[in-house]
Amino acid sequence: MNRIIAYIRRKLSVRVSLRVVVSAAILFVAALGIMFYQAREAVSQEAISRATQILDKTSLRVDSILNRVEVASDMTKWLVERHTNQADSMFVYSRSMLENNPDFYNCSVAFEPYYFEEKGRYFSAYTKHVGDSIRTIQGGSDSYQYFFADWYLMPKLLDRPCWTEPYFDLDVATNTSEMVTSYCQTVKDRQGRMIGVINTSLSINWLSKTISAVKPYPHSYSIMIGRGGTYFVHPDTTKITRQTIFTQTLEQPDTAMTALGYAMQRGEEGVKQMYINGKDSYVFYKPLGRTGCSMAIVCPESDIFRSFDRLQNTIMGIVAVGLLLMLYFFIRIITFELDPLRRLATEAETIASGQFDAELPDFQRVDEIGQLSHSFGNMQQSLVKYIDELKKTTAQKATIESDLRIASKIQLGMLPEKFPTRADRDDVQLFASLTPAKEVGGDLFDFYFRDEKLFFCIGDVSGKGVPASLFMAVTRSTFRTVSAHESMPDRIVTIMNKTIADMNKNHMFVTLFVGVLDLPTGRLHYCNAGHDAPLLIGAGIGELPCDSNIPVGFMPQWKFSLQEAQIFIGTTIFLFTDGLTEAMNANKAQFQMERVNEVAARALDNQQHEPRQLIEQMTDAVHQFVGDAEQSDDLTMMAIQYIWQNNDARMRKSITLPNDIQEVPQLNAFVEEACQTVGLDEIDTMKIKVAVEEAVVNVMKYAYPSGERGDITIEAASNDVRLKFTIIDSGKPFDPTVQSAVDTSLSAQERKIGGLGIHIMRQNMDSINYERSDNRNVLTLRKKLNKKN
Amino acid sequence: MKKMFILLAVMIAMSHAVTAQDETIVFTPQWTAQAQFTGYYVAEAMGFYREAGVDVRIEHPSPTQPAMSRLRNNQCQATTLQLCQAMEIIDGGILLVNILQTSMNNAMVIVSARDQDPLTQKGARVGIWSVGFGQLAICMSIKEHLDYEWVRFAHNVNLFVAGALDATLAMSYNEYYQLVQAGIKMTDKNVYRFCDHGYNVQEDGVYMTREYYSEHKDQARRFAEASKRGWEWAVEHPDEALDIVMKYVDMNNIATNRVMQQLMLQEVLRLQVDRESKQREFRLRPDMVQEASRLMVENKMLSREVTYEELIEN
Repeated sequence: MNRIIAYIRRKLSVRVSLRVVVSAAILFVAALGIMFYQAREAVSQEAISRATQILDKTSLRVDSILNRVEVASDMTKWLVERHTNQADSMFVYSRSMLENNPDFYNCSVAFEPYYFEEKGRYFSAYTKHVGDSIRTIQGGSDSYQYFFADWYLMPKLLDRPCWTEPYFDLDVATNTSEMVTSYCQTVKDRQGRMIGVINTSLSINWLSKTISAVKPYPHSYSIMIGRGGTYFVHPDTTKITRQTIFTQTLEQPDTAMTALGYAMQRGEEGVKQMYINGKDSYVFYKPLGRTGCSMAIVCPESDIFRSFDRLQNTIMGIVAVGLLLMLYFFIRIITFELDPLRRLATEAETIASGQFDAELPDFQRVDEIGQLSHSFGNMQQSLVKYIDELKKTTAQKATIESDLRIASKIQLGMLPEKFPTRADRDDVQLFASLTPAKEVGGDLFDFYFRDEKLFFCIGDVSGKGVPASLFMAVTRSTFRTVSAHESMPDRIVTIMNKTIADMNKNHMFVTLFVGVLDLPTGRLHYCNAGHDAPLLIGAGIGELPCDSNIPVGFMPQWKFSLQEAQIFIGTTIFLFTDGLTEAMNANKAQFQMERVNEVAARALDNQQHEPRQLIEQMTDAVHQFVGDAEQSDDLTMMAIQYIWQNNDARMRKSITLPNDIQEVPQLNAFVEEACQTVGLDEIDTMKIKVAVEEAVVNVMKYAYPSGERGDITIEAASNDVRLKFTIIDSGKPFDPTVQSAVDTSLSAQERKIGGLGIHIMRQNMDSINYERSDNRNVLTLRKKLNKKN
Repeated sequence: MKKMFILLAVMIAMSHAVTAQDETIVFTPQWTAQAQFTGYYVAEAMGFYREAGVDVRIEHPSPTQPAMSRLRNNQCQATTLQLCQAMEIIDGGILLVNILQTSMNNAMVIVSARDQDPLTQKGARVGIWSVGFGQLAICMSIKEHLDYEWVRFAHNVNLFVAGALDATLAMSYNEYYQLVQAGIKMTDKNVYRFCDHGYNVQEDGVYMTREYYSEHKDQARRFAEASKRGWEWAVEHPDEALDIVMKYVDMNNIATNRVMQQLMLQEVLRLQVDRESKQREFRLRPDMVQEASRLMVENKMLSREVTYEELIEN
């Protein structure tokens, strides 16, 4: 079956032909159905009228004979009632009835018991044909008490003439019986008392024969039933007198048969459609005169509709054969017409397999197939051209992709890869991640340590892809260059802005956050150029307040503002680009700041807000939210946790000196003492003395205008790992650290004044840090201690 | 001379017949062949009589020779009778012995036309068998002051079906089903069952004249036992028993059919089960005899009480 369906699906000709033939078949069936239905109705009507005629004819014949019996009986009654005292006359009346009507079966004139006293209990003048002669005898006896017989009782009880139910009349003398029906009426005396009954019987053999002979169709048959439903005529002779029309229904209920039985018993006339003996049949029925009997003709439908069915089958056969032929020719014609199409399909297959130059068949046709072939040729040419272009484009694209991969590597290479952790540093730990949306992205972050300061930035270049990535590279290198000699973020951003804006022909811009965290104090200086405000996650969660500066790259003259905040130990600064808050899922919903806050709060609750943990949790949350949706923007996050451990507890001392060069020996003594306290050797002590002296002398020289008095406080403090000198003065702001490192390859005359001092300091100490705090200059010099110290 | 010879030959033949009757029990059921007599047909057909060492011949009554007249004339030695009939006959001077009682319940019903309750049809024309069943119905009619007009009929339901009667007596195993077969609708209302109204008097039993019985006691007992065995076999094998019945029906050319006979057999077997013991007891119940006798004496159908002892073997 599946193979046939597959074949039909494959063959257009078969499919089209089948559709046409099926449509035609539906039309034929509908039209023929209506025609057959109407024709059948007509045949049915014809059958009904034919059967009705037959029934009417039979009924009339029965009636005419019954009438003769009734008239003859009435005349005899007239005679009998006039001679009710002459018993023997009854024999004459009875006999003359049969003499005058040879087709009557018998006649009795029977009287009530002892009506004629001289005749005894029984007196019935009974006449019957015996062969060719007529015999008249006295009919009653002990063994035949006629007054209990139906024919005697019925007219007596009903008090009117009536026909009895057919019964077997037994002739005792000859022991023969005949089925008869009797017309009986009472005889009355002058007082109106019932004295006897006249019974005139008619053999129903002739009636049976007449009814049995009614056979309008080859397999039709007739039945006759009495008042009690008893069969008197039936093709199955074993049923006659033995069964009634209801007998079968006692075993197998048959409501149609029961209804027919009742209808016939009631003397109705009509037709019923029924299922009899395994056949759908029509039953036509009609009462037979006044006998109480009813006859029916049972006609199998197959008989009535025999010739109709034959005609119907012939027509159906012709139609079926016609449709099959139609199907055959359609398939042949369509196959023939579609042949060029098949060749075209084969050629197309060849082209599809890669042979674009295969030659198409040339049909000299102007119909749809010709047009198709022509179009196909055009398509083939276009295809060849297109494939060539595609090849070139693909090659170009491959080159670009290769370049992009390299660019991506370079870009990621620009970013710091090593992040300081608690194991590396005791003041700050940091982690960052950058996930570009395309091969290359426009986000950036950077950080580095200079002296005791952490310089960091995060930024987002407008746009994406290669242009953004180039702009990002420029921004990042500008940041490095500028911050190398500027410690204040506002200065750094302002200079970067001017530099970038000057060379920004394409009107791109970058939002940028630049911060400088002073590690010893936790002071954060920052400048936000249009970037998202970072989160502070520590005692609670809050945004770092940010001024509304414009992004970098727009206006070269813009003066960016500086802001300042104290970062407490344990607090994490969380910086991010809008790729986090605007991360989109498949429904175009954004991750939003609420979710960032939620993740941060959860991390804080679980004390998992160390940089790496925080960023991993944030990344997981974003991935979960975004699901399978494509990443829409670069995503960059950076977290910085301030973990300064202020344990300068081993040694602490201080000295305050006026700004007078004369005080230097006192300073040296102080420094030396401090160095000795922590156990430094002489070389290191000497180096430190030189560095501190240089720093203090610098202050004495530059911090206060000449002639102005001022104090300089020098604090010395140490812990297990380092020795620290803090030089504090209230002079004008002066940051020696931003003086560029001395190029020692130049001669002393070529060098800038003062530049050597900072160089010495850097050489001799491990770190130098400058802070302007509370209108004071705070310069910190640190030296790491060896374990043996 | 020739005539004398013929007469002599006939006399010899008759004397032979008389001798044969001494040995053979001719059994005449009181009605034409039907399932009412299944047990006897089975016993004959299955050879139970032969096995019991008794020679039995079943001869049905004819219109000219009803069962009772055959018994009186010694044309048969055993017949079936209803208990009330038997009592009437004994009261009339012919001594009978009940050698086998089959019925344990009364089968008579009144079926009313036009879906009326027979007890409300005062003065109605009611059909009754001309051959003398229906004593209980007459007793009931008197007791209930119904004053039925009894119409004696020969033996079928045509009068009722033709509408000439208001009601008719019927046996629950015979005429009742004939009426059903004639399309009469039976309801709870139009059927009055005597057994349900204090007239549950046994019916069919097998009777012999006491005179014949006293000389052939052993034969009679064996005949009764074999007949009882026939009935019991019919209970066990209703289909085969029905086949046997239909053979007798066909042999006697009776106008009936298998459906009717099947219904009759079922009902007759049902009537053989005693209501109280739920058993086929095959015995006369003294209480029923006494009750029947009382009713019939009361209504002047018997001139004296006929006792249980008068009916049974002794």
